[in-house]
Amino acid sequence: MAKVKNKKRSSSDKVHAKKEKLNTKKSLNPFEVHINKEKIRVVGQKRKNDRGLPGVSRGKAIEKRKRTLLQEYKIQNKSNQFMDKRIGERNGKLSEDDKVMARFTAVRIKAHNKKSIYNLADDEVLTHKGQTLSEIEKFDDPRSDDEDSFEGNSGKLDKDFVEEAHFGGGVLRNTGREGATSHKDLINQLIAESKKRKAEKQQIKEETLELTEKLDTEWKDLIPLVNTNKSNDEEMPKQKMDDYDKIMRELRFEARGTVSDRLKTEDEIAKEEKEKLEQLEKERLERMKGIFTDENSKPTHRSADDLDDGIFYEEITDDNCMLSYNKEGEANMQIDAQLNGKEIKIDNEKDDKEDEDENGNESSSDEDMETESEDSFADLKEESSESEEEVDGDAQDPEKVIEINDELTDPKEPSNDGSENKTPTTTERQQNIPPRDLQDKIKQDLLKRKELMEQARNELPFTFSLPDTYESLLKLLENQPSHHQGIIIERMIKCNHASLAEGNKENLGLLFAYLLQYINDLFSEATKDTIKSSCDILKSLLPQIFELAHLHKENAHNSVLEVIKEKYEDYRKKKKLHPGAELLMFFRLISLLFTTSDLRHQVVTPSFVFMEQILLKCPPRDRGKLSYGFFITTLVLQYTSLSKRYSPAAICYLSGILHMAIPKSGVKLIKVLPPFKSTSSDLVLIGNHSLDLCKDLKMDTTDLFSTCYDDEFKIRIFHNAVKALSEFNENLETLPSCVEIFEPVLKYLEMIPLQNYPVIVQTVAQDLILRLQKQKENRQLRKIVREAEKPKALRLYEPKIIEIYDTKRHKMQSKEKAEQSKLLHKLRQEKKGALREIRRDKEFLGRVKIHRRIRSDKERRNKVNRIFAEAAMQQHELSAMDRKKKRKK
Amino acid sequence: MSHQERPLKISKQLRQRANEFLSCKKNRRCLEDILHHFGSGADQHSCLLALESVFTSLIKEKDMYIEVVALKPLERTPENLHKRWLRQLYDDTYNKILHCFENPSPKIQAQALTTAMNIIAAEGKHPLDNTILNKYVPLTKLKAVLNKMLSSSQNNTHLINKFTEYLLYNDILFYTWTLLPSLTPKYNPCEVYISNFLTLLGKLDIYQNGEMKLLCGDDNNPFVTFDENKTKKYLNKVWHCVMHWEHTHQNQQAMLLVLLEKVMSHLEKPLLLTDFLMDSLDVPGPISLLALQGILILIQGHNLDYPGIFEKLYSMFEPEIFHTKYKSRLFFLADTFLSSTHLPENLVAAFAKRLARLALIAPSEDVIIICNFIGNLILRHPGLKCLLNNPDTATYTSDPYIMEERDPVKSNAINSSLWEIRTLQQHVQPSVAIAAQFINSPLPSVEWDVSRLISKTGDDIFDRELKKFSKLILLHFEKPQDAEKHERVIQYWHL
Repeated sequence: MAKVKNKKRSSSDKVHAKKEKLNTKKSLNPFEVHINKEKIRVVGQKRKNDRGLPGVSRGKAIEKRKRTLLQEYKIQNKSNQFMDKRIGERNGKLSEDDKVMARFTAVRIKAHNKKSIYNLADDEVLTHKGQTLSEIEKFDDPRSDDEDSFEGNSGKLDKDFVEEAHFGGGVLRNTGREGATSHKDLINQLIAESKKRKAEKQQIKEETLELTEKLDTEWKDLIPLVNTNKSNDEEMPKQKMDDYDKIMRELRFEARGTVSDRLKTEDEIAKEEKEKLEQLEKERLERMKGIFTDENSKPTHRSADDLDDGIFYEEITDDNCMLSYNKEGEANMQIDAQLNGKEIKIDNEKDDKEDEDENGNESSSDEDMETESEDSFADLKEESSESEEEVDGDAQDPEKVIEINDELTDPKEPSNDGSENKTPTTTERQQNIPPRDLQDKIKQDLLKRKELMEQARNELPFTFSLPDTYESLLKLLENQPSHHQGIIIERMIKCNHASLAEGNKENLGLLFAYLLQYINDLFSEATKDTIKSSCDILKSLLPQIFELAHLHKENAHNSVLEVIKEKYEDYRKKKKLHPGAELLMFFRLISLLFTTSDLRHQVVTPSFVFMEQILLKCPPRDRGKLSYGFFITTLVLQYTSLSKRYSPAAICYLSGILHMAIPKSGVKLIKVLPPFKSTSSDLVLIGNHSLDLCKDLKMDTTDLFSTCYDDEFKIRIFHNAVKALSEFNENLETLPSCVEIFEPVLKYLEMIPLQNYPVIVQTVAQDLILRLQKQKENRQLRKIVREAEKPKALRLYEPKIIEIYDTKRHKMQSKEKAEQSKLLHKLRQEKKGALREIRRDKEFLGRVKIHRRIRSDKERRNKVNRIFAEAAMQQHELSAMDRKKKRKK
Repeated sequence: MSHQERPLKISKQLRQRANEFLSCKKNRRCLEDILHHFGSGADQHSCLLALESVFTSLIKEKDMYIEVVALKPLERTPENLHKRWLRQLYDDTYNKILHCFENPSPKIQAQALTTAMNIIAAEGKHPLDNTILNKYVPLTKLKAVLNKMLSSSQNNTHLINKFTEYLLYNDILFYTWTLLPSLTPKYNPCEVYISNFLTLLGKLDIYQNGEMKLLCGDDNNPFVTFDENKTKKYLNKVWHCVMHWEHTHQNQQAMLLVLLEKVMSHLEKPLLLTDFLMDSLDVPGPISLLALQGILILIQGHNLDYPGIFEKLYSMFEPEIFHTKYKSRLFFLADTFLSSTHLPENLVAAFAKRLARLALIAPSEDVIIICNFIGNLILRHPGLKCLLNNPDTATYTSDPYIMEERDPVKSNAINSSLWEIRTLQQHVQPSVAIAAQFINSPLPSVEWDVSRLISKTGDDIFDRELKKFSKLILLHFEKPQDAEKHERVIQYWHL
């Protein structure tokens, strides 16, 4: 650790030094500056390298090499090296004292190395305010610091005393005082005083401690008393309360909307709801058209200022009179809405009457009559009254209460209860208002059901926990009448709403899957006798399933798709066998849950494929199979009722049914498409039933499980097939090949002896025949002309502006390729730079080597010279001695 | 329980008996026991297995081998007598094994075939006497097998399928070809025989198999020289007879299939088939389609001129065609026939218009094919663009095209317009609706690849739709209670 720190310091020192150097070098030597000549001058261009300091930079580079490369070169081929690692030794800036300081701190730091980090009391004594920790620990009740600090006398010597004793005295003062004590006395006095103060302080502390403890114990005794008082005093002051208090409290606790979302008036709510529905409807229509009319939806008008950014202003329609609703949810004016080119009128009177009817029958159950559009305060009241009831009934239900509160705080949220909710605006969407009597019938039916629901509501417990397995759900629903089952699920959803707890959303998703499984089991095991009750159960479960689907859309979507997939896998194995009745119910469920009018929908489109396969491949062997196929055609009718799409399989199937009703002469073969056989004549009416009064011509679910054809069934299926065909014809009227599509239908119809059928059926069939003939006669065909291509407008409105302009031309490349080429360029540059560096390194090393060489050569020469000189000297001495000897001789 | 144990026990017993006999060849009783049991008709399967093991090992150990010396009567040694007895027994048993082909249980039939073929293999490897070369295929036995297989009383399709396993051996294949002409009757055999015969003929290959496998004898020194010219000659001989038989519709269809798949390319004079194919053309349904394909081959390869071919093709496009197995073949044929760019425009227009009409009632997968097909036709014949883009502003009260007209040239299709395709843009299947949109935009420069689509079924569309993933999850915003009022199902059904 120390090492690292040292290094860091040294590097930071270097940086510092460098900075200083730079500061000093600000003034450039004009002889060192080299100005790069510029070939083309571009105005406003800032150039990085218009001047350079070749000498300086070369010097810098050499310096750097000396520091790095040379050092490496020196220790090349050496296994170890000597480094001076004494702190501050290599830093010339530090003075001797600093060095010592730095070394000392390093030693101290070393003492705190990892090994000893937790051995606090090893060699050092830790202190707190001058006292060792061990001393402090002896106190078993350490008071906090601020307790001391807040006290006036802190046990320290006070100001005067210190002033006098420490800094006072002196010659002048001393003389002024009488009876002056000696210094020693003074000290003694000081010690005594401080001791006394300490003792006082201690005493006060103990006293307060005692008092607080006493208070604590007394408080504990008082607690039960206080609590009982609390509960009592709710009633007691009530009697005393005067009007003022009352009003004040009321004002205080009145429900107040927050500023951010004020309470909306009924008009606004209704308007919002309407707008929302209109928006949804608009989106639906767009999806229905799919991608065909994308171009058509663009605004036709285009101004010269159009930036082609897709923004355009919608035409502001003259909408002066505002739509509003009164308390009963009626509009203040007649609504003439246009939908799919059809006019929709809602008669005020009619609604009025119906509502009156409802009022008459349902005065007892008030809450059901409340509509969404009503005053939200009323809504609040209603909810609260409901909550009161429920609290009475089931007081220990915290969840329920929470939920109610939830609703209280958010009055605008559409109430979750499907059965209570009738938005006035949805009635606008009604396209085909059923005839009056039918509607009344439905109304009565609804009322009846509501009564039943009411009963169930009272009989059943109010809370249900979510089932964790399918078996537990089955157990719960077992032996319950159908309307009870609906209530159970409804309550289950309410009690476990996703906003109430974490994980509820997933569990509700699971519940959705279980319900699908339940329906599957219900209908796959259904027989002729049980199918009715199964249908009832489904009917009561539908709103709940719808609710669940909206709570967790993804889950609903996935689980339904999974079901369809699974069913198709089963069907794929045996293509000629009709799947079970549960599939029909799933198809029906899909039509209720998902928007079937979309051009392509993830769930609906596969279902279409599935239905087409069944209609084309499964031969109608008996009454049940035939009814099965007919059910699917009605489903197709329902799926396509809004989108008006064409399904060949459904129409072929219906015409096949008509074909079966043609009496075959045997000589001439009347062609029909598979899966029908051209010889089958199972639906031919033998007797004359023209005088029969058929009250009920609807198909029955029990038909799905019967095998033999009887006359009543023959009439019914014929009637319904004709009805369905005329409805299909209505939907497909606008198609240019409508006549061709319905040609076989007309042919078959004309061959059927209609006089045998009851009058109602006859009229329906005659109507269709007339209609088809009329279509054939009044046909108007125009040859197909491809839309002329729009001439491409010259787009010269604005100059092309490029945000960053550089002279370089950029290739038009994909993003990846551009990135790649950029990297490649960078690599090349780096490579060049690296090569240049290597070359310079080599030059530098070569210089170093040659210098060394020169130096060593020089040294050697000097040495040799010296040796020669010495030798010459020696020789000289020798020869001198010899000469001396000779002379002596 | 006991019922299950019994056959087990008996098969064990039979195996034991066989082993006993093989260990002591003199023990005639054991063999007779097995044969007796076999004759009784019970436990045929295990009997067959036991007999197979007995006789193959007898042949391998040369227990029935009789050295025949020329011009010398056989010595009547007890050994020879025993051998003779065995030979007699062997021939009888072989016939009985072949009789099992008529057993009602297909399992026993198959076992009988295996046994017979195993015995043939053993005998081929170890001949019974020295009159023949040491390696050969026992032709009489093979012929007996073939004879039994080509029974005129029962349909032996599964047996013949089983026999294809042996046709992988070159020697068996070659000798089957050799034997076949002698088995082909000149005059009308019965229906079942023909169907069996055609099934067998469909399985036979003209060329030898790649790996030189031999059933009789080892693979290393082949004694059979597979002469492809000879097999072709046999084929021609056989086919000559087959063509003159009287066929039911079913057999005719099978025959056409065999003809197209196997025979046609090897016939010496395929033009002789013309009459037969012309006759077949008049039979409605798939037969005419197959015949049409035959005629196509003749036209392409042998310069046949058949003027009425387009009328025939035209008449085949009937609504029922979409529910047959051969619709993809028809599309393929139509594509080939109409690939020429030198056809008269009104003819091609008639085809386009008829296909469009059919598309109104066809299953989705076919509608997609038809849309692309019509697109291709228009691409090939730019004159047909008037079907899609006709600036004529007159209004018609009915379609000028006459659907009922048999002659495509007279159907007046060129004056019509493809309203059907515009109708199909409102098809419930988005894939179809999108395929039908091709008329809205200018045609592409390259043709659509129809062959890729031809084998698609409704299942494929289903799977493809499932894979189409969109993040958007769209639910109905209308509550079921409200929706009920205009729910169609409610209006038709009591729910």
